[in-house]
Amino acid sequence: MATPSAECVVGRMRTGDHLLLGYDTDEEREAVLAAFLADGLACGHRGLVLTPVEAPPDVVLGFLQRQGVDAEAELAAGRLAVMVRASTEEGLSGLDGLVREEVRRAVADGFLGLRFCMEALHAHASSALKTLHDSEILLDPVFQTLPVLGICQYDRRVFDERDLAPFDLLHHGRAVVDHVWQDELLSITRTFEPPGLALAGEVDDSNVTAVARALRAENARAARRAQRTHRTRLDLRGLTFIDVCALRMLVFTALGLYASGGGLVLDGTASHVRRVMRVTGWDRVPGLDLERGQGA
Amino acid sequence: MSRTGFVHQALCYASDEEFLDGTLAFVRDGLAAGDAVLSVVQTRNIALLRDALRGEADADAVEFVDAKEWYGFPARTLGQYHAYCTRHEDGGARRVRVIGEPLWTGRTAFETREWMRYESLLNVAFADSGHWILCPYDTRVLPAAVVRTAARTHPELARGPRGWVPSGGYAPPDAFYAECDEALGPPERVRPERELRFGRGRSAAVRSAAAGYARRCGLPQERAHDLVAAVHEAALNAVRFGGGEGLLRLWCEPGYVVCEVSDTGRARSAAGDPPSFPGHLPPEPRGSGGHGLWVVRQLSDLVTERMRADGSVLRMRFSR
Repeated sequence: MATPSAECVVGRMRTGDHLLLGYDTDEEREAVLAAFLADGLACGHRGLVLTPVEAPPDVVLGFLQRQGVDAEAELAAGRLAVMVRASTEEGLSGLDGLVREEVRRAVADGFLGLRFCMEALHAHASSALKTLHDSEILLDPVFQTLPVLGICQYDRRVFDERDLAPFDLLHHGRAVVDHVWQDELLSITRTFEPPGLALAGEVDDSNVTAVARALRAENARAARRAQRTHRTRLDLRGLTFIDVCALRMLVFTALGLYASGGGLVLDGTASHVRRVMRVTGWDRVPGLDLERGQGA
Repeated sequence: MSRTGFVHQALCYASDEEFLDGTLAFVRDGLAAGDAVLSVVQTRNIALLRDALRGEADADAVEFVDAKEWYGFPARTLGQYHAYCTRHEDGGARRVRVIGEPLWTGRTAFETREWMRYESLLNVAFADSGHWILCPYDTRVLPAAVVRTAARTHPELARGPRGWVPSGGYAPPDAFYAECDEALGPPERVRPERELRFGRGRSAAVRSAAAGYARRCGLPQERAHDLVAAVHEAALNAVRFGGGEGLLRLWCEPGYVVCEVSDTGRARSAAGDPPSFPGHLPPEPRGSGGHGLWVVRQLSDLVTERMRADGSVLRMRFSR
């Protein structure tokens, strides 16, 4: 298998970055784009959303509204803009010219730069993929000269990795969602397929509060998803250490979720962590589901 | 025979016949009452019991475990019994009967004393249960001191089928515990190979020192994980109750890697007396505390502690 393209968390993107976002779920796409556009507002950039289908701008930007951005006000002030641009042969021709023009206009309007994102559509014909490919080739030089950052969105439910590989070469890397938390011991990241959190590193007295906070936010998202009973999922495959205090917090969280019909799933718990849970009886607490990690 | 509440008896036997006399009725009564019956005895005694029960109704329901596999280290054995009872007691509705014959041969004086302490601790750990533990002592081979002490750690002595007498010399567990500590003496002076002073928020450095030392001593990966987890919990306790800082010392002694965590106890004296039987009693899974020291004992092989107002010393041993 080819080495995957370099990952860049969206919060670390810089002017000139032209990244590919391969997403598995709408939640993942929205999480990355919302951060990308909200960061742009904070940086004095104009945000431009190229949408493949005709729809009212406030509908297109509904996901920003849900993330706490007043999209309507930002649209009215010209800080956000929505354009219809399908990635058909017709829509893609001259895309580089369009972006050049939009950057100039944003700067003329007093912005420090332009952030744009565009959804790539899969037309099941090799000629369409070739057009998409050509337009990405033409687009890349734009990033080297102008104050612009861009994310090209590819839905992995329609583009498989074979389709995406050639496009990786035309981008500076892959955009991924920001870490929820990162310190020298631990990183907490949202996962989307399946949805939840991934913990990597060590949890102890210094960062247990960060875990609790992330877990609380994830519980709220899980409740909103509410597919069947809401279960919060933690991917612990990268977790090498967790202390008794932090495990007890997970147990209490699981009991709380259980009381409201849900539960906590721990995926890929290491055998030495399982041993601690066994001697404390925590492996038998209702609402706490210890799953073996895939391949673990 | 039917009794209520926790029963803990020693059965001193000097022949196969006496062993069977004391245990068969116990097993049969248990099966008849629908109790869970677990028999953890020497290999040859498993054979004796199996033969004697052959063909009897429900005899298959008796679970046999070889004592060699069960009696590794006292705190973990207590944890295993607790876990076994939790699994089989149906939320407290069912009695668990155990024939438990610890191994006494091949132990050092220190290990033997910790096993005696364990026998006494059973009286506290299971006090609120309705279980029945019968502990056979083979007087033909066991040292006289071990047999004598059985009368001090067991409230009752079993006599033949269904018979028993109160053991005259029974020592209350807290008194016996203090006596074991007394015999242990103050922590002997050592010259550690590695030393680390730590304060609040430094547990990662403590773990890293412990992990490095475990690796150097060649502990298997899984035991190294256990050592790190035990040392971490001990260090947190030291910081929390011991005045905000502590000292980690690491060294080896014959058969064991030793990790010592000590503190000067300033906060503990303010917080009141140290707990009795610290970490020896199974904590409630849904409780808000008491898991730290329990985990320390369950993950270590042997733990000794001295907890005083002027400081605590916790020594965790891991066999190598």
